[in-house]
Amino acid sequence: MNGIKKKEEKLFSGIIRFNAKILGLVLGLLMGLVVFIATNWLVIMGGHTTHDGITVIGPHLSLLRQFFIGYKVTFTGSFIGFAYGFALGTLSGSLIAWIYNKIVDFKS
Amino acid sequence: MQEHARKLDNKKTVIIGGGPAGLAAAYELSKTGVESIVLEKDQMVGGISKTVNYKNYYFDLGGHRFFTKIEAVENIWKEVLDDNFLHKKRLSRIYYNKKFFNYPIRPLNTLRGLGLWNAFLILISYSYAHLFPAGQEETLEQWVSNRFGKRLYKTFFKTYTEKVWGISCSEIRAEWAAQRIKGLSLVKAVKNALIKPKNSNKKEVIKTLIDSFDYPKLGPGMMWQSMAEIIQGNGSQVCLESEVEAILWNRNNKSIDSVEINVNGQRKLFHGTDFISSMPIRELIQKFKPTVPEGVLKASNHLNYRDFLTVTLIVNKQDVFPDNWIYIHEPDVKLARVQNYKNWSPYMVPDQNKTCLGLEYFCFEGDELWSMPDEELIELGKREMAALGLVQKHDVEDGTVVRMLKAYPVYDSGYRGSLNTVRKFLDGIDNLQLIGRNGMHRYNNMDHSMLTAIYAAENINGANHNLWEINEEPEYHEERAGKSAGELVPDEIIIKSFNRMDKFGFAAAIGTVSGLFIFLATIFLVIKGGEVVGPNLQLLNQYFIGYSVTIKGAFIGMGYSFLWGFLFGWLFAYLRNLFLGFFIYRVKRKVEMLTFRDFLDHF
Ligand SMILES: Cc1cc2nc3c(=O)[nH]c(=O)nc-3n(C[C@H](O)[C@H](O)[C@H](O)COP(=O)(O)OP(=O)(O)OC[C@H]3O[C@@H](n4cnc5c(N)ncnc54)[C@H](O)[C@@H]3O)c2cc1C
Repeated sequence: MNGIKKKEEKLFSGIIRFNAKILGLVLGLLMGLVVFIATNWLVIMGGHTTHDGITVIGPHLSLLRQFFIGYKVTFTGSFIGFAYGFALGTLSGSLIAWIYNKIVDFKS
Repeated sequence: MQEHARKLDNKKTVIIGGGPAGLAAAYELSKTGVESIVLEKDQMVGGISKTVNYKNYYFDLGGHRFFTKIEAVENIWKEVLDDNFLHKKRLSRIYYNKKFFNYPIRPLNTLRGLGLWNAFLILISYSYAHLFPAGQEETLEQWVSNRFGKRLYKTFFKTYTEKVWGISCSEIRAEWAAQRIKGLSLVKAVKNALIKPKNSNKKEVIKTLIDSFDYPKLGPGMMWQSMAEIIQGNGSQVCLESEVEAILWNRNNKSIDSVEINVNGQRKLFHGTDFISSMPIRELIQKFKPTVPEGVLKASNHLNYRDFLTVTLIVNKQDVFPDNWIYIHEPDVKLARVQNYKNWSPYMVPDQNKTCLGLEYFCFEGDELWSMPDEELIELGKREMAALGLVQKHDVEDGTVVRMLKAYPVYDSGYRGSLNTVRKFLDGIDNLQLIGRNGMHRYNNMDHSMLTAIYAAENINGANHNLWEINEEPEYHEERAGKSAGELVPDEIIIKSFNRMDKFGFAAAIGTVSGLFIFLATIFLVIKGGEVVGPNLQLLNQYFIGYSVTIKGAFIGMGYSFLWGFLFGWLFAYLRNLFLGFFIYRVKRKVEMLTFRDFLDHF
């Protein structure tokens, strides 16, 4: 009868559900971009030169290599990092959404 | 096509009531070649919106502003009156405690009028109401006080509302106030708050609708008179002094056969293929022959109305006050509102050195005010105007009284149930449609009354509109107008995005994913091996006491990480719900305030 009222009730009483694909995509893009920007930032800032005359760029970020095989703090590396970050983010986002939706379904 | 034309030829619609709705229906039908006959009991058309002519002083009852967002209605108004409209800037004030306050209320003007001390007290009471709202919201008094504070309620709502309805605000149910604001959709308001319309400034539109209006040179009656002439010119009929006294219906095939009027003691029947009624539902039901089922009759008797009378005074003064109308909040007088018709249109008075005022009193048919002889009412009017200091008694040179039955359908606690029962019965009658204000027992203004009529006419020509959705669902007609950016987003999306987040669900999801993250990272390094296994990840043990990059450590890390993830997720969901809740609360209050901006204008 009163559509507005029904809509208002829904607004107050409903529980949000996530779209796993969208959350995955968003988190994927976010993580990918974080790695991409962080890498290029260090590349642009340049590194420091050690006593042995070696230029070191982003020694800490490059530790990511342990997990992201093939990743380096270089311009090309930023793309590889983006791909890894994107994959990891997508996986995490979709998993978060899936678990959340399952719990909400179970509870209701 | 030809068949359709032939079909229309055979159609004949009988329309009860020659007010804005009845005439609009006949007008629309006449445009499509469908013959109709309008039966009006009064001596003139226009119904509640008619213009009365007293010694060439024109006045209408209540002052009818022409303003609408409905294109179809606006088009008819333009078609019929063309350039006979005046565009007026509205000036209306509240008269309280011998002072004038702008209405709609303007904060600075109100503060000035109330004085610093009173304003301070109002602020305190307003803040108090917001900090400690009354738990119960059963009466109008509680409802308004909870939103505006007791003091503001007493100053600007109580007296006038009580004059309008004739009962104390503590007896009017809160539901009624909620009804008044129901028209504004919260979902829409949330949407507008998020997505500002690009091309049109909605606030500006609403403000314009409240702050200015159109008015026919000779009052609203000019519109209905012209419309009746056009209808007759198109071959249909408008019969005055034709009160419908019986509705003859066929119980078996659930349709109306004819309606009966009484002309000089002679019974006259009007047959038709379709029937449209704008007369009050209660009377319509009572006039059914054979009588309707007992339950329906009983329900219709529970539909109540508030009546209204205007004492018109002709004042021998050029200027009395600059307002179109003034709300009288003074509790010592019965007078509720005063119209100054000359300020609506200078053509309303024959002599610009005189002023014609309409003193409006709300009453019930048969009560003391209603039954008072005209001379006494005119005396009462003069006395009260003098007591208010607005007009001196000796300046009044003439006066007249016009009574208007059923000016307001009453939304009391039982009306919805009764209306539903009656509707259920009437919906079952195939060739009858209800339109208008009292015709649907709905608080329709002229535009919505006319829209119901336009749609009823379209239904006769094959459309399938649900007339009860008009003015119940604002979207119904607004969707006809151009859509703004916000309106293109479906309400469902807004509702879904503003739903609450399940705190436990989100916490558990974040916890699980973080736990897995650390677990897999640790295991990965353990499998990779090396001289020193994962020295950097090992640093986590500064926070996760007992953690190491080992198989056992992977489980410990997972536990810690789950815990922190869980806490973070819970807090995130909690804060998100809290802030969104606060946002919605703010929007809701804003919507309520916006409605109350012109609250008094609705009576
Ligand atoms: C004080 C006041 C101020 C208002 N101000 C505004 C305003 O500023 N702007 C605005 O848009 N609206 C305003 N309205 C609302 C407006 O008056 C109504 O919306 C409009 O008149 C409704 O039209 P209607 O045709 O549905 O009903 P009505 O105007 O009530 O017409 C119904 C007609 O049916 C006739 N009738 C009843 N019974 C029978 C019968 N048995 N047989 C034959 N005929 C019958 C009546 O005589 C009447 O002419 C105001 C109303 C009031 C009371």
